[in-house]
Amino acid sequence: MLKKIAILLLVFPMLIANARANEEIPTIDISQFNGKVVYLDFWASWCVPCRKSFPWMNKIRQQYSDDQLVIIAVNLDKKRELADSFLKEYPATFDIYYDPKSLLAKKYQIKGMPSSIIFNKNGKPVFAHTGFFLDKIEQYEAEIKQLTASSK
Amino acid sequence: MQLRNQSTGSPLKNVSLAEKLTLATTALLGASANAQQVDAEWNYSASLLAYSEPDRVSATELIVTADKAYGDAAKLDLKVVLDSLTGASANGAIEQDNPQTFTRPSGKGQFVTAANSTPLDDTFKDTRLQIAASWTDSITEQSRYTIATNLSREYDYRSVGASGELAWDFNQKNTTLSAGLSFASDEILPEGDIPLAFSSMVIDQGQFVTEDEYWNAFDATRIAESDTVSTSELLLGWTQVINRRMLVQLNYGYADMQGYLTDPFKLLSVVDDNGQTQDLVYENRPDSRTQHSLFALTKYHFDESIFDLSYRYISDDWEMKSHTIDSHWRFMTIGGSFWEPHVRIYLQDAAEFYQPFLAQSQTTPEFASADYRIGDMSAMTVGLKYGFQLEGGERAEVRLEYYRQTPNKANQSSVSGLENIELYPEVDALILQFNYYF
Amino acid sequence: MGIRHKIKLFFAVSLLIVLSGCSSWGVAPWDRDLLAKPEMAINSSPLDQSIDDHIYFSKEASSGGRSFAGGGCGCN
Repeated sequence: MLKKIAILLLVFPMLIANARANEEIPTIDISQFNGKVVYLDFWASWCVPCRKSFPWMNKIRQQYSDDQLVIIAVNLDKKRELADSFLKEYPATFDIYYDPKSLLAKKYQIKGMPSSIIFNKNGKPVFAHTGFFLDKIEQYEAEIKQLTASSK
Repeated sequence: MQLRNQSTGSPLKNVSLAEKLTLATTALLGASANAQQVDAEWNYSASLLAYSEPDRVSATELIVTADKAYGDAAKLDLKVVLDSLTGASANGAIEQDNPQTFTRPSGKGQFVTAANSTPLDDTFKDTRLQIAASWTDSITEQSRYTIATNLSREYDYRSVGASGELAWDFNQKNTTLSAGLSFASDEILPEGDIPLAFSSMVIDQGQFVTEDEYWNAFDATRIAESDTVSTSELLLGWTQVINRRMLVQLNYGYADMQGYLTDPFKLLSVVDDNGQTQDLVYENRPDSRTQHSLFALTKYHFDESIFDLSYRYISDDWEMKSHTIDSHWRFMTIGGSFWEPHVRIYLQDAAEFYQPFLAQSQTTPEFASADYRIGDMSAMTVGLKYGFQLEGGERAEVRLEYYRQTPNKANQSSVSGLENIELYPEVDALILQFNYYF
Repeated sequence: MGIRHKIKLFFAVSLLIVLSGCSSWGVAPWDRDLLAKPEMAINSSPLDQSIDDHIYFSKEASSGGRSFAGGGCGCN
């Protein structure tokens, strides 16, 4: 519970600060996905490995039900058009959030592009990855499998 | 990548050039186009160059490159260069107020230079084929290596080279340090063999009774059929991201060359006190050369344009020094096209043994060359490039450049009779280039 | 000051800059949108570079510095 609050506290000031800004401001409250594993991805249209991570995220999206796994890909492009043209070429079957001011990226202190954070069913960040490597796909999948299979 | 089934498909009728080349390249590498699960495709680029110095050298060059990414970080780069050169190049002798006769480098035949014009050897005709390959891959997530090899072959020149480089990223890839080593081994097999340093050019002016007598005299000025040069280089680099719009690079380079560094075709005029040529002798350069270089580059991304500026300083133990400033400014327009002006300024201090001619009264120095390329000079290039996108998504670029080389006349000789002679002719060149990315 | 000393000094200074200054330079990973463009690569026009290297190698007495100069040209 404390952790949920902590995550809320992380995200909440941002929500307040931007409450009246445009609708692109991300409002991620991991606790709302209680009972589901959350795969939180950070990407941008100019990020080359993202062209490889998108097809893979589509694949795992298919492998798990919406009750088991939530995939959120946070776009960090400064202009929405850039994200849109990327998505035309690499369509996504998962949720896209837009964070043109990089507020979420700063909150989670990501260290490279793309970056991913995998939260367990209790909303606790368990695994984090910088970059996306074909060589590590088995590891990513094993982590998701482990967390979805776990009762917590 | 969805692999196309070539076995059942019709012949290559409706297949793009890139696809045809993919088949050709995979066939070349002995791999089957269908037997791989890598998702990347081959990228190709080609460049066609026309280079022309009015009344002098003209050259055409074709470059084709292919590259392909493998897995997460590996990449293979292949390059083939074919160029051909024809025309005339200054042979080092000075102009005279009477016509001059020269023996061709092969010893077979002569050519005559008119009075009051720069002697040009018009026998240059060469075709060069170069093949280069490089492979880069990551070692860790923060480091990578590149290995490369290079083969070059022309009628009178062969070269084999290999290099290796390591690069490390720091500070979230905002800082990159690199270190590389390169070795090349060249062989020179000049037409007419290698002349003896400072030997007089044998010119048949009727003094030989038989042809054998001429060839005996000619052969006496030859010392070997071929010679070699080996080059070792070290390059240390530091690349730094300054902010979202700007980066800088700083390189230090050290190069060591050993072997035959003389130009077997270049001559020196030996003149008397009246500036009249009395003899023509073959030049001689030291058989080793070490060079230090510093290179600094910055790139800046404005809202609608990208600007780069570089400075290079080179100094060697031939006491040659040079400064180069090079700058491009790319103005992007909507729709993916751009205009890019280019300016390059080059300043060079002569090598210590450079002299436009030898005085008859002077004792022969250990080394001397009248090759204008190692003399005091300044050079300027101005160019403009236009890049655009084609309908199929391919990109193309056209580049036009003008190069002008101006020798410094500060050391103009005081020998009487040479005051009005153009010892240091200017060189102009036009460069037209077409690049295509597919 | 000889060239060797100059080079040593250059190295000492640049090493100092690298060690002290470079951690304050740079961008956050999500701010690489401009740097990620192919046009912002250090060698963004390798074809032009290769042709320029060849031309100036054959017309001038110095070459290299940016990348390996290599051998392989008896060009005049």
